[in-house]
Order: sequence, then structure tokens, then C-alpha cells
Amino acid sequence: MVREFELPDVGEGVAEGEIVDWLVEEGDAVEEDQPVAEVETDKAVVDVPSPVNGSVREIHAEAGEMVPVGTVIITFAEEGDDESDEATSTEESTETDATTETSAAAEAETTAEETADEETPTASGRVFAAPSARRLARELGVDIGNIDGSGPGGRVSEHDVRAAAEDATGAGGEEESDSPEPAATRIEDSDEADAGETDTAGGGAAQASSASQSASSGAMAGESADRERTLAAPATRKLAADSGVDIDAVPTDEERDGEAFVTPAAIESYAEAQQAAQDADRAALAGSREEERIPYRGVRRTIGQQMAASKYTAPHVTHHDEVDVTALVEARTDLKELADEQGISLSYMPFVMKACVAALREFPMVNSMLDEEAEEIVQKKYYNIGVATATDAGLMVPVVEDADRKNMLQLASEMNELVEKARERTISRDEMQGGTFTITNVGAIGGEYATPIVNHPEVAILALGAIKEKPRVKDGEIVPRKVMTLSLSIDHRVVDGAIAAQFTNRVEEFLETPQRLLLEA
Amino acid sequence: MVVGDVTTGTDVLIVGAGPGGYVAAIRAGQLDLDVTLVEKEAYGGTCLNHGCIPSKALISATDVAHDASTAEEMGIHADPAVDLAGMVSWKDDVVDQLTSGVEKLCKANGVNLVEGRAEFAGDDTVRVAHAGEGQGSETIQFEHAIVATGSRPMSIPNFEFDGEHIISSREALALDAVPESLVVVGAGYIGMELSTVFAKLGTDVTVVEMLDSALPAYEDDVARVVKDRAEELGIDFYFGEGASEWEESGDGITIKTEDEDGEISEFGAEKALVAVGREPVTDTLNLDAIGLATDEGGFLETDDRARTDVENVFAVGDVAGEPMLAHKGMKEGEVAVEVIAGEPSALDYQSVPAAVFTDPEIGTVGMTEEEAEEAGFSTVVGEMPMRASGRALTLGESDGFVRVVADDDAGFILGAQIVAPEASELIAELGLAVEMGATLEDIAATIHTHPTLGEAVVEAVENARGRAIHTLNR
Repeated sequence: MVREFELPDVGEGVAEGEIVDWLVEEGDAVEEDQPVAEVETDKAVVDVPSPVNGSVREIHAEAGEMVPVGTVIITFAEEGDDESDEATSTEESTETDATTETSAAAEAETTAEETADEETPTASGRVFAAPSARRLARELGVDIGNIDGSGPGGRVSEHDVRAAAEDATGAGGEEESDSPEPAATRIEDSDEADAGETDTAGGGAAQASSASQSASSGAMAGESADRERTLAAPATRKLAADSGVDIDAVPTDEERDGEAFVTPAAIESYAEAQQAAQDADRAALAGSREEERIPYRGVRRTIGQQMAASKYTAPHVTHHDEVDVTALVEARTDLKELADEQGISLSYMPFVMKACVAALREFPMVNSMLDEEAEEIVQKKYYNIGVATATDAGLMVPVVEDADRKNMLQLASEMNELVEKARERTISRDEMQGGTFTITNVGAIGGEYATPIVNHPEVAILALGAIKEKPRVKDGEIVPRKVMTLSLSIDHRVVDGAIAAQFTNRVEEFLETPQRLLLEA
Repeated sequence: MVVGDVTTGTDVLIVGAGPGGYVAAIRAGQLDLDVTLVEKEAYGGTCLNHGCIPSKALISATDVAHDASTAEEMGIHADPAVDLAGMVSWKDDVVDQLTSGVEKLCKANGVNLVEGRAEFAGDDTVRVAHAGEGQGSETIQFEHAIVATGSRPMSIPNFEFDGEHIISSREALALDAVPESLVVVGAGYIGMELSTVFAKLGTDVTVVEMLDSALPAYEDDVARVVKDRAEELGIDFYFGEGASEWEESGDGITIKTEDEDGEISEFGAEKALVAVGREPVTDTLNLDAIGLATDEGGFLETDDRARTDVENVFAVGDVAGEPMLAHKGMKEGEVAVEVIAGEPSALDYQSVPAAVFTDPEIGTVGMTEEEAEEAGFSTVVGEMPMRASGRALTLGESDGFVRVVADDDAGFILGAQIVAPEASELIAELGLAVEMGATLEDIAATIHTHPTLGEAVVEAVENARGRAIHTLNR
């Protein structure tokens, strides 16, 4: 039995994923739950496990390809089923066909041609198959008329169609193999001559001709045909448009009513040839002006989409200020040692998180979201704090849930763990969702102020600058103090500038006098 | 562009809301395509408004009356009074329910409904003229268009439809009084169905047919059962005579016919129903504007994806050629839209079943024995006469038979012809068999309910296998 594996819906709103890497090849034996591919969806990389014990029958997507959720990306053959079954069924059908032929000689040496002639017991060319098998044949691009059915009287089953499709794709490399190949392959070869007559809709003919095309003239595929009029199915036109190919430029041998007719296969081979040509051009130019094209995909694209959505949805205003954190630096230095003893690295972030939670309690508008559809502002009574994290793949925002109910060390350890997972890209989508407020530490890398973009649909984000020693005037004296900058961006639809300033002031009070945090729950 | 036009855009523009068009529209809505359906008259097209549904409603109603009045054998003595206006009004209720259902379904599936007559104005535009003075027009730009304008009754020279003396099937289904006498020109399925209806209502029916038999599209023995029954109902047949002209005479008309020797006959009647066939409606579309031409019969040629010669224009239903059957149009509509949506859909059905609602009904699917032989099959045929069917006898309707044609080698069911009560329903099983590539054995091994008419199917199959129980094997 063949098991199809569709790219699963791994989380809300995820429409597609990128196949990062295949961990198996076609023909490989696999065990149930063994990872077979790495798929990057949104921000997380997930392993795709095998659902069966058996072998990899066919891989339907290439590494690097974006695949919509629900697409079959790999098919498995279940254990003890695959090849042996296929062999017997083919043998059986050959035998059955042979017995209908009374000649003993014919039975002794059933040649490819004879099998082809026998494929339907009549001259009508009628193929007996269920509508579901016919549809599958169209989906897989196989001409059902070229399939030798294994059912009663030669009825073509879905299994036969799949087997034929697989043989057709696998047939290209090894021509004229003398091992007992399933009949369909041979039939297809022998039918190639009159493929033009077969309805191209089936696709078998299209495949045959495109195969011969690519085999005979690889160069031709790249040349522009430059016709004025081209016949093609609407779906083929869409494929051309999606591939950035001018359909009139695609070379084809096929005709319909005297007009050039282009198949999806022709589009694909032309698009590949064009791509190769462009790559060659780029390589040739590389000496003078080097540039590299990186696919805008996966995490990068998700970040981009998220940022654009936020920036274009929420009118942003950023409030800047400085805070004297000399006392905080001292407090943290003292506490860090105690934390180290418990094996927890204590950064400034948990202090800032605590300060923010305390301020958010006082200014609930900052801890809210705008439900545009319902036209309601939703004030969150829980405090899930996102911590923006730079990773090799790009920005990720792990969320520490219920920050108000956790002590400093819990916050520190949980945050460290999440940040680490994000950097290793083992973080799950769930761990990056449900935030109510975000903190981003731009100072870790350098810089004074920033204008962070709100992590939509939250309404505020706080950027921390670096803690620097700066001259401050205290009691008329210039003294060196530890100073940190704060930049609070708000969604001005929900939060006004005054609230932004008041909120920031409150955060500053806690950071200036960290002992005050002791009074907070 | 006409001054005052408003242009709107749509992915899929469908012209005509008959079975082909409305099914395409609903399917397109399901596939999330932006779809606009233009209808000049009534949702549901000919099928719901002037064809299948009203005719079957009247056939059922007249059967009730007729059966009651002829059931003495069953010990029932009745003399039903038929109020044709009441019958027509009931029929209209049925039609209204269905057409408003179609409209609701279209809306529920997000179909933009536009009322008016559409004609092509350019490569990718149609102009829709709204009905009524000063209602204006609009221009719709489309990515893909589906022509589903259907067909209309064909007229013959000298017999223009006037709605009074010379009527088409459409008017015949809307009469408010039973005519005393009726000449029906044409003994095809429409002529035969309506002749039967009016004969059962008490009309004196005369059928004039140019060819030499009734239901020429069907095999002789199939047609004969129906014709014999029609004659029992009092219908007179005149074959080999073509209607040539008519004139008013007294309350009614006199119709002159001419045979191939030039001999003239005259028939007097209250009205003449001309039912010589239907022609596609493609002449109102200004097809020139998109560079599309029809064949001699006015049909648009299409391929197995319902595509015409013009890339983005599809044609479904009656305009796409014979057979002009609602269910064929529905399937084509579905396929056209799925192709537009990029699905690997195609019209690769193995057969289109057909039914004639005469008395008894005819149901056919796939190949006849002759067609199968021509296609190169060596055939085996099995038959079950309805007089051997227990259920048929209990219905008091035992005319006809079930015939199954199969391939002698592998036993694949290739076709079937049924002339029997409920043949239109019975044929469905054999339609499935043909599509599935089922064999005689498959049907024989399927238990059929007793006592039903469906048992006749399995008996015919067993007859083909030489294993019939209730008839003598031939």
C-alpha cells in the first residue's frame, strides 16, 4: 500500500512551508516516526516523520521548495508490500493476458509490442477504469490508455496508475533495460511514435514528448520560440505566469488544430533552461560586480511580512528617554553571584521584565490589542513578555508566559532557555505566540536609540539601549553614572503619547530604584 | 463602450443560468473564483422553466389522472376531473421553488448575479443590456468566459411559432385548457412525451413524422414498445410525411403534409405543436467580437476540457453540441470551471445516460449492441422482459424490457437499453457499471432488492451469462 504524506498544518495561519532538507532518498528504508525531512514553517523548523515502516517511494518536492500545506510531499510504500506486490500483479496480468491469446508461442515470448497490442482486448481503444482512477491518471500526468490494468479483464486500478506514473518518471535514465520491467513503461515507449494522436490532456503523451525533447535537444529547450499564438490549458498559462515565462516563447513539437500547443512539462523544462542561462550570465558578470541572490523565504520572509503588516497597520510613534541605572547595575552585580550559584545566568532583562509588568499593570492600555473586526480594544489581564532575539536566521520573539507570576530567577532561567532554543531554531511556534508586550535589547549590539516596530497585534514594544557611563549632574556636580536609553514604540490608535510617556516614566522609576521591585508581586 | 456603461471585472463570466451555467457558477464559487452569472430571463434555463421539470411535472400529473381512470383491472373505478389550469399552476409552483433555489444557492456561493442579455464586445469584455426601458447596460471584463446560452425550439418553414395556432414545447407546457385536438409535428422524444401527455388528458392527438418511425434515435424494438403504447392511448401516427403549410379553418387550423411522392394530406386540429428539435442559441452573442465561429449547426466546438478555439472562452451545455441534455451540461459546467481553477479535470466520462419520459419510459446508457460491434467488441447481450418481472406486474405495467450489452471476453458492461416503467431511474445502475468498468459478474454478484424493478437488471445480466432464473436463457 502506498501512503501519501501531506505537508501538515502545523499551526494557525501557516499556509506553506519550505522543505529545508530531505533526510532520506527514494528507495531508502524507513521506520515509523523516523524523520525524513526538515520543513521550515513560519519560524520553526519541524521534522517530518515517516508514518509507516517501509520505504520511500517518491519524493515530490525539492529541498528549498516552498510547499503549500496539504500538498503531498512524499509517498511511502508500506513494508512488505511494494515491489513484491507490483511484481506479482504485473506477472499475473501478463499471464492473464497471455491465456486469452491462444497461441502457445505468444505465451512463450511475450514481447513489448504484443503486450501493448493486448492492453485492451478490443479494437476500440476503450480503457476500463473507475472515474477515480481516471482522475488520478490526469493528476499524475499519465495517459491511462497506456496503462496495463491488473484488475479483472485488465481493468485499470488506482494502484496501476500510480505504478505507471512512477515507472514513467523513473524510466528516463535506464533505457531498454532487459530486466522484467512493468509493462506500462514499455508500452509508453512503444507508443511514443503516435503520441501526437493521443489526447494531450492525459499527459502521458506530453511527458513522452517532453522527455524526448529534453533528451534530443537540451539546447532547444532554452531557445525562444517567439510565436504569436499559442494554445495551452488555462492551468498551463498560470504555470507559465507563475514561472515568469512567456508562453509564446516556449518551444514545443505539439500541435492542436495546426496551432502550437504547449504542455506544463514544456513550460517547466523551458523555465529551467532559462534559469540555467540566467545563472550562467550572472556567473559571467560576477567578476565585475558581484552580487548574490538569496531567496526571500522562510524566517526572513515571515519577519518581513510581520513587520510590514505592523508598520502599515499601526500608526507608530516612538517615545525616547534615558534612565539612570547605576543602582540597578549594583543590584544586579550582587544578585548575579547568587544566581550563578544556582546555575542561572542573571542578565538585566528579568529586571526590565519585572519593571515592565509592574508598569503594564498600571497602564493596561499598553498591555492590550486592537480587535479591528469587533472594533474593540482587548486589555490583557495576563502578562506574556516577548523577548526579541537575534538569531542566524533572523529575528525571533520567544515569549515568557505569565511573567507577573514568576520570580526573577524563574524569569531568567525560562528566558535563557527560550532564547537558546530560538538560536538553535528548535523553538516551537507555540513558544513564540501569545505575547502581550515585547522587549527588544538593541543595546546588546550597540547604539543609542532605536524606533522598534510593534510586534503586531501587540500595541507597544520597548527597545533598550546599551548601558553606558555618562556624565550626569548631581547636586551641582558632574558625576559619572550608568545610563540606559529607552525607546517605546506604540500603536497610536490605542496608546496615546501621554500614556507612553507615563508608562516609560514608571518603568524608569523601577529601574532607577530596583528595590521597589521587591514591593511588586 | 456605450455612454453610461459601468465596467466591472470578474475571473469567470458565465452567460446563461441554465443547468450548465448555474452549476458552473456554483462550482466556481466553491473554488473561490470571482464569478459573474448573466441571465436574461429566468434562473434554471430551459430545463427548469420550459423543459425537463415542467414536462415531467405535467407527465406525472397526467399519469395520476390517467392511471386512476384506467385501473378497473385493479378494482378501482374512478373518473378524475382534470383542471389543466390548476395542474399548470401546481407545475409553476414546482418550477418557482426550484428556480428560486438555484438563485439562493448561487448567492450563497458568492456568485454575482446580473440580469440582462449578454453579448461579446471584445476579447475580454461583454456588454450586458438590462431588460426594460431605460434600464441601461453594463460592461463586464472577464478573465475567462463560459458560454452556456442553451438552445431553443427549432421551427420549420411556414410554421413560425405564433403561440396560438403553432406552438412549441414551451407554450404546450403552459396551456390553460386542454386542446380538443392537436397535431404534433415530429416523433422525436419531445413530440412523443407531449403527445402522451395530451393523449392522456383526452386530446385527440395526431403525430406527423417525416422519417419512417417514431423515436428514430432509438433502436427499433425500443421505439416500438413506446409507439405501440402510444397507439393504445389513441395517438395516430403518419410517417414519411413532412408538414408543408397550414391555414386557419373555423376554430382551428388545417395542416398540409407532403410525402416523398408529393402527395398532399390534410389534418385538421385546434393547434399544431412543432417539435422537430432544438437549436443552440449562439446567434445573439456577437461571437465575432472574440473571433469565435460556430459550426453549421450553430454549435461551438469544444475539446475535452470544454474549451473553445479561443483560449479563455469555454462552452458548455446545449451550445457545446449533442446530446442536448441537462446532465451533460452540468458535468461540462463543472469541468470548465475546474479547468479554469487549474484542476486536472476533463470530460472523460464513458457514457451519457439518456431518458425519455414516455409511457413506458426509456432509459439508455453507453453502447447498443450494434455500436459495440462497430467499436470492435465481440458482444454478449442479455435481456429481461418486464412481463416476467413480479414488480412490473404488480404495477400493472409490464410492457418493455431491460437489455444489457457486454463485452464477451472480459464481461465489461458496455451499455444498456431499458424500456420499462421507471426506466429513467433503473438506468442509473448501469450508468455506474459502464463508468466503473464493472463486469457482468459484478452486477450478478450484487444482491438486488426483491420485489423491485431493479431485479430486471440482474436478470438481464444473468441472461447474458446464460444463468437467468426467471426467463429462458437464449
